[in-house]
Amino acid sequence: MKATAPIPAPVRFYSVHERAILGTVGVVLFLVLWEGFGRGWWAELLRPLLGPQAMRFEVMPIFFSSPTRIARAAFRMFLVTGEIWKDLGWSSLEFVLGVSLAVVIGLPLGLAAGWYRRFSYAVAPFLAAMNATPQVAFLPLLVLWVGTGLAMRVLIIVLLAVLPIAINALAAVRTIDVRLVRVARSFSAGEWLLFRSIILPSAVPFLLAGMRLAVGRGMIGIVVGEIYGSAAGIGMMINQAGSRFETDSVFVGVLTIAAAGVALVELIRAVERRVEVWRPPVAT
Amino acid sequence: MKKPGRERILIGGGTLAVFLLAWELCADSGAVNPLFISSPSRVLHAGVTLIADPDFWNDVRVSASEFMFGYAAAIVIGVPLGLAMGSSRRLSYILGPFVDTLNAVPRVTLLPLLIIWFGIGIWSKVAVVFLSAVIPIVISAFAGVKTNEARFLTMARSFSASRGKIFSSIVLPGTVPYIFTGLKYAAGRALLGVVVGELYAATAGVGHMIADAGNMFQTDILFFGVFVFTATGLVVVALLDRIERRFERWRPNVGAST
Repeated sequence: MKATAPIPAPVRFYSVHERAILGTVGVVLFLVLWEGFGRGWWAELLRPLLGPQAMRFEVMPIFFSSPTRIARAAFRMFLVTGEIWKDLGWSSLEFVLGVSLAVVIGLPLGLAAGWYRRFSYAVAPFLAAMNATPQVAFLPLLVLWVGTGLAMRVLIIVLLAVLPIAINALAAVRTIDVRLVRVARSFSAGEWLLFRSIILPSAVPFLLAGMRLAVGRGMIGIVVGEIYGSAAGIGMMINQAGSRFETDSVFVGVLTIAAAGVALVELIRAVERRVEVWRPPVAT
Repeated sequence: MKKPGRERILIGGGTLAVFLLAWELCADSGAVNPLFISSPSRVLHAGVTLIADPDFWNDVRVSASEFMFGYAAAIVIGVPLGLAMGSSRRLSYILGPFVDTLNAVPRVTLLPLLIIWFGIGIWSKVAVVFLSAVIPIVISAFAGVKTNEARFLTMARSFSASRGKIFSSIVLPGTVPYIFTGLKYAAGRALLGVVVGELYAATAGVGHMIADAGNMFQTDILFFGVFVFTATGLVVVALLDRIERRFERWRPNVGAST
């Protein structure tokens, strides 16, 4: 006789996949609950109990929409009319321009501030102040300066994304192994060689972490920049749909941005893993 | 530490002074139209005028209540939720997908929905502040519980400490630094929520004042409004640092300082 009774297969299956099962159940329950509000299932169900009061459980679709409505709207916008592609294109353009500019400005700034102590003292007050400010507060100022065109929308993304990049670049240089620098110096390496072969490689993980933050900020920038009237873009689409009470389209836009953000962050993570391969696991 | 400290203040302060002076000169000499960049003296003047203006204080009160209601609700809900998710594996499996999804969504994109749900008054802003702040708080509290020293837990268990005892004397103190990191990050997000919410649709508030000033080319008022937000951000983080130090005073000074 065996000491322990064999575990029945369903239980074993559950304990192996507990995470996936519980997660799926939670999400499905949530979606069903949501759908039920939109379609009045709960109102029907509770009518015998609550009488006319039960109608409170049927929520107008303009408030919450429902998963099926959102799916239908997504299908229409992506595949039938294809109207969302133009918006996606504009927003992507803004995002790419904005984040690239943020890298071009923030990276040298952060590296220089990390390398030259005096320079870091000079820029520290500005970095601290900018970092404490919700940078979107500059939006009306940008509108004053460059109007509501593409330039404003790119600049707000730059403003939002430049700080995480600069601050991470600064931190990257600060955490460089001093021994490596000393060795290089004692072999009379020039500044450029030092920069290329020690500073830049050690800075890469920090820079990628900064990029991940910058992506999130850039996504906010897309939406915020398009608040002030714009010809096209996901943020504009969300705003207009909201003001027309087309809740389903709003959700499609929100989920599209979220998906784009997740995809970009995962892309950077993949690069991070790739870059980390050469690094010996000891140095921190 | 002493000597570089003085150099730091000298160089930092010097650069700041040069910047302000250059700004002032640009505007006063007419090199750049002051309508676009204002100038430090004009901003100061606008500030002095605004401080005497009851309308400005009304805006401050509205923005402050949006921030405080939303942020307080985020703490009250986020910290226990994060701790609970960290303590119960099953709960974290169930709620994980929701937290991850909300984390992926830039919360300000939800503003059009929040406006539909709560109107353009203060409550839609409270909601966006809450949503902006609650996710980082939940995630950091959760991470704090997850990174507990396994040695401490093993020891407590081998002395047959109860779950409640383990929680209050090991888990909770261990999560404090994480929670505060989350709170500081969340404060920035919350402030962002206030500004975006008020730029988007509002009837009062400092963000609304900034937007109005922008529309009317009152650049000085605009800058003063931005500085109000800068000051708020600095004060909130300094305050949290202080509270954190008070909580952390008992901790022996080992390991990396944050």
